[in-house]
Amino acid sequence: MTSNDIVMLEGGPLVDAAGLEDALGWALKPEGLCKDGACVIVSDREALFHGERIDITAVASLLDRPAATDTQSGLVAIGAPREQRRAAVNDMKAPDFVLPNIDGLPMNFSDHRSKKRLLVAFSSW
Amino acid sequence: MIAVAIDEDIPAVRAGCDGITYPVLIDAEHIVAELYAISNVPTVLMIDERDNIVHPNWSAYASDTFRELTGIDSEKQKDHIRAWAKDGTLRMSPDDAKGVVDDLSAEEEEARLVFRIAAKLRRDGDTIGAERNFERANALAPNDWTVRRASQPLRGVNPFGDAFMEIYTEFNEAGRPYHGVTGH
Repeated sequence: MTSNDIVMLEGGPLVDAAGLEDALGWALKPEGLCKDGACVIVSDREALFHGERIDITAVASLLDRPAATDTQSGLVAIGAPREQRRAAVNDMKAPDFVLPNIDGLPMNFSDHRSKKRLLVAFSSW
Repeated sequence: MIAVAIDEDIPAVRAGCDGITYPVLIDAEHIVAELYAISNVPTVLMIDERDNIVHPNWSAYASDTFRELTGIDSEKQKDHIRAWAKDGTLRMSPDDAKGVVDDLSAEEEEARLVFRIAAKLRRDGDTIGAERNFERANALAPNDWTVRRASQPLRGVNPFGDAFMEIYTEFNEAGRPYHGVTGH
């Protein structure tokens, strides 16, 4: 893993085809939403469009990812696929993530696989 | 041990990490709070060699600083952690551990995303936009400490002052909601 599956987009939720693929890694093709050669059928294609442009929050919803928009600033936040959290809370499987250490160097949680790990969430607040 | 600061204030985190040799990661976007349904700190999980969560979200403490508020004896908690590290003895059976962490509600999930927007706006210098979104996030998840309390230092509010008691009172009135297990 080189980055977490979260997205922050500027300029509102309406994007073109290239913008969609850049942000989510999925392309909207005649056969459906496609990634790495596999496609998900889109039953209501019209619902994804506003005119010529694609509503990325509608696509996120199809991919079972949460999205929130701040209309005034145009920022759109898209969360990780919900299946990652369900793996933790339902299936007791630890989802991977990558974060910088305190000196700014990225570290994958999975770098420490094959060891027992105590994961401690804390804060200064 | 891997410590994750649900925090973007690196100097403040560093101040509490003197002499620590295990990795301390900075989670400014609260990605771990989203992926593991973490609603307060400290939250501790035990994860085995094969990525199985053998002890889910647990309100476990390194010291007795908050014992008056929590009634928790941190030494008893640390004994459970030491036993697991030493010979794999588990505090809860796998059957009991499964399903004890409720998934985030739609509001709690959305609050994390709105918080992320607010934090970005603040970093970009839009304090009005940040405030608008911090308020929206807090309204969505008023008893989620990773949202409401984490927003305080970013809004110029002292998280250890009167504002703490305000959140704490509401949290108690709501029945101390927590995504995980508590106790020794």
